[in-house]
Amino acid sequence: MQDGNQLVESEQRFRSLFDNNPDCVIFQNKASTILDANPASLRLLNRRKEELLGRPLSDFLPPDKILLFQEKLEEAFTGRKVQFEVEVQFLGTPHPRVLDIVKVPLWVDGRVAGVHMMGRDITDMAISQATVLQQSKKLNTIFESITDAFFLLDKQWRFTSVNSEVERLLGVNRHDLLGRTVWQVFNKEVTQQFYQQYQQAMITGEAVHFETFFEPRQLWVDVKAFPSEEGLSVYFSDVTDKVKAHQELYHQNKDLQQFAYIVSHNFRAPLANMLGLVELLTSLDKHQPQYDELLSHLRISTEQLDSVMRDMNTILTIRDKQEVAMPEQVPLAEVIEQVLQNLQEMLQQCGAEVRLAVPPELRVRGNRAYLYSIFFNLLSNSIKYRAEDRPLLVELSAESSKTEPGIRIEVADNGLGFDVERAGSDVFKLYKRFHSRPDGRGLGLYLVKNHVEAMGGRIEVSSEVNIGTRFIVYLV
Amino acid sequence: MHIVLIDDDSTSIFLMRLLLQRENFAETITTFQSATEALRFLEHAVPEQRPQVILLDLNMPVMSGWDFLDSINGQASELLENCRVYILTSSLAYTDKLRAEENPFVTRLIHKPLDKAELAAIKAEAAG
Repeated sequence: MQDGNQLVESEQRFRSLFDNNPDCVIFQNKASTILDANPASLRLLNRRKEELLGRPLSDFLPPDKILLFQEKLEEAFTGRKVQFEVEVQFLGTPHPRVLDIVKVPLWVDGRVAGVHMMGRDITDMAISQATVLQQSKKLNTIFESITDAFFLLDKQWRFTSVNSEVERLLGVNRHDLLGRTVWQVFNKEVTQQFYQQYQQAMITGEAVHFETFFEPRQLWVDVKAFPSEEGLSVYFSDVTDKVKAHQELYHQNKDLQQFAYIVSHNFRAPLANMLGLVELLTSLDKHQPQYDELLSHLRISTEQLDSVMRDMNTILTIRDKQEVAMPEQVPLAEVIEQVLQNLQEMLQQCGAEVRLAVPPELRVRGNRAYLYSIFFNLLSNSIKYRAEDRPLLVELSAESSKTEPGIRIEVADNGLGFDVERAGSDVFKLYKRFHSRPDGRGLGLYLVKNHVEAMGGRIEVSSEVNIGTRFIVYLV
Repeated sequence: MHIVLIDDDSTSIFLMRLLLQRENFAETITTFQSATEALRFLEHAVPEQRPQVILLDLNMPVMSGWDFLDSINGQASELLENCRVYILTSSLAYTDKLRAEENPFVTRLIHKPLDKAELAAIKAEAAG
């Protein structure tokens, strides 16, 4: 009795499950005939129960789906559970539905007595999945089509999205970035530079905008970073050209200012003298003793004005040529020998000694005329500013630099020297002089620095009053 | 009257001296081609050797006209008591003019070349 009760209960339970199941359940035999169908399946097929029972499922299927259902049914009758997804519009229903179908064999006495087909309507889910897919495609198209480089970082600083402009600008492959943290991808110097800004954005929740130099690729980048729930979206673009143009403009402006200064002073100094001299000359009798002296001063002033004009010409010519000067491998010793020959007379007159330590095979990449001018001006200065009480000694040496690639040249004398601290940044400036002696114009070192820099090198100076001056030139 | 000229340019000195002589501007004219020397002179001068007028050039090597004024301001401003300092420069730069106006020692900035009219004005100012 108890067993009977249990059986009844179990049957009722099954019935309830069958009838109230929100998924459709249809029981078929081997011939595909529908033996039972639950209410959900009636709704799905839009039929009454008596229309379905005793008829094959194929009666309600569109022709192109009959074979599929038949095959899956046969497969289930081999004893396997079968699952598949299909979009189907049952005959007499208004819309196609997407169904996730499971066919489960029912075993009775060691053989398959029938198959339960359970279908879950996943149409809505499929639609939303398609929408998500479409959205992500759209988003991807936007990421790829914006001209900015763009990447996303999650809260753990991992790259979660990277567009192709990032790959192009940074010279990276997105597969090497995705899933890895910024620390794993870039070195410490780079991350430190960006980290502070990004950190600020993350902490304050406010966007940051900054411009910085990306060393590994020699790029100036303009960066905007927006914090969000997921992490940080970062946009950046290459502004190297813009920054370079700015710098160029700044330098041009500086040059112009310097030129204005030269015009206001160095042109005007001899000119003011000429004005004064002419004024006096016109009011002076030819036979007065000062007349000849006035004339000779007028000549000096006129010549001074001429040399300023010539200097301007020299400077402007160098500036124009700087970009076209083709570098060549210049034998250093040969150029120095040439300079010494041309200064021989002056060197002999003041009893100077020049000690040379320049390997004959040493060559530098540069312009021969510049190198000549560099050594000519440095040696001329040594002669000009020698100490009266001791014979001039110039030591000139060159060697491959030990501390950096390239060549290190040293020109040291035992002359008057000058107060380096006082001269400060003026040492290499145009028309700046550091000795009371009137023989210098303040052009030589300006030219030297210009030449050295035009060849990609740099120059350093140290000096001590009444001990001497030492110039060190680094060239590549 | 004692006037001191400080200018590294020999032509400029020659010109000023000639003009001063022609105008009988002063009994004593002392000239220096470096501001360092001029400063040394002033530091060692007894009161009766001190000038009443200084004409000072700006653009000079080692010690410029401005450096000269700064040195005096720093250590020995009494040296310039009863003395008028005129900056005499070929510079037309406006910044120099402004700087001259701000300097308490400087009476005025004069553009080169110096002429009779300017000398007359200086004389009147020096007389008091």
